[in-house]
Amino acid sequence: MADSAPIRVVLAKVGLDGHDRGVKVVARALRDAGMHVIYAGLWLTPEAVVRVVADEDADWLGLSLLSGAHMTLVPRVLQLLRDAGLDRVGVLIGGIVPEADVAKLLGLGVARVFGPGTALPDIVAFLRARGEVSHA
Amino acid sequence: MPDDLLDRFRRGERLALSRLLSRADRGEAADVLARLGSPTKRARVVAVTGSAGVGKSTLVGKLLETIRLQGQTVAVLACDPQSPLTGGALLGDRFRMPSRPDDDGAFIRSVATAGGRGAVAENVDAMIRLVEAFGFDVVLLETVGAGQGDTAVHGLADAVVLLLQPETGDDIQWEKAGVLEIADVIVVHKADLPGAEQIEAQVRQTLGVSGKEGPPVLRVSSRTGEGLDTLADALAGKPLRRGNGAAAGRDLLRIAQDDLMARFAEAERAQDARLARITASWSQGTLDSRQAAAELLRILADTPSSPAPQTAR
Repeated sequence: MADSAPIRVVLAKVGLDGHDRGVKVVARALRDAGMHVIYAGLWLTPEAVVRVVADEDADWLGLSLLSGAHMTLVPRVLQLLRDAGLDRVGVLIGGIVPEADVAKLLGLGVARVFGPGTALPDIVAFLRARGEVSHA
Repeated sequence: MPDDLLDRFRRGERLALSRLLSRADRGEAADVLARLGSPTKRARVVAVTGSAGVGKSTLVGKLLETIRLQGQTVAVLACDPQSPLTGGALLGDRFRMPSRPDDDGAFIRSVATAGGRGAVAENVDAMIRLVEAFGFDVVLLETVGAGQGDTAVHGLADAVVLLLQPETGDDIQWEKAGVLEIADVIVVHKADLPGAEQIEAQVRQTLGVSGKEGPPVLRVSSRTGEGLDTLADALAGKPLRRGNGAAAGRDLLRIAQDDLMARFAEAERAQDARLARITASWSQGTLDSRQAAAELLRILADTPSSPAPQTAR
């Protein structure tokens, strides 16, 4: 079993969104919480993100979106993850997501949406509580 | 060990490779490697090392593209440091590398690397064997970017590429005692910047003084593309050295040395009473040096070699 292995989290930004301050702050917080954070960068396509998740054997994918394109990009990423056989990977969204869309995203299979004002320890606590999704 | 994972790996399933790499990273792939046996085709393993900020990730990314254009498949294992305090790591090498989601001939994996074991992750050897068995032609191994001491990569790679950059002037002086000696190719990176020629001249002079035939010194710019093809060709022309011939025993010795050092550090950290006893006996003269050293080896033989940060393993 992999109980002792650190949680692996891929953090990325998809689409045409260059605001990477937030995702970098989160990256640092997760690192300091003992997790292994793979920072995949910005301006990625959904296809590229899913490839990173696959090759890095990640437990979680954190997507940062401040562009308003979440209802286009996130469902696409979720679909590609399923197509790739990566259903076990938990997906977190961070950034600016209107209340009405949060419920939709959760309905599509997103584990959690963290909006503005989220305290970093809350993200850490959520990941720790969920542990590794199904890492055999 | 789930059999079907190994079957899926043998069928060329990328996710199975990825999953097995995690096991290897944790030091749990010995059985898998034993069942895979020796590789049907050797991969060319190229280690890229040099100090932080010299452009290792960028150059590895460019090399990946260059080698792919030449028709060979490439796996990258990119080592980045892991905190000795929390065990956490921010693995930021791959975002400097090209994103090629449609290219099955390119694979990039980030590897957290605890300190105290040289500049590559403890189990990177097993990870190399896995990507080799999966069929990749070339393995690019990026080190965490230490400096003097990271000679451990020599035994793991067919060729070691050492990166230097302009404006490092005096650093050459201390680097020459370490990695410069084990480098198979020396690259003056960022060659589009002023000062590249001086560094090249300094390196050539340093190597020239030692009298023997030195490694090639190449000027490369990842920004302009200058020298990338020359570098790729130089690497392709090297014989596959890993585990071969007279050097293999020495490489293994080097690995054993590193392992011994790690075990010693662990014994010290754990304040092993036996270590204290031997040291005391030796200081007091009741044990002579050879006896004490033999005792020490016996203790280290049953000391775990994994460094401290991760608690349970």
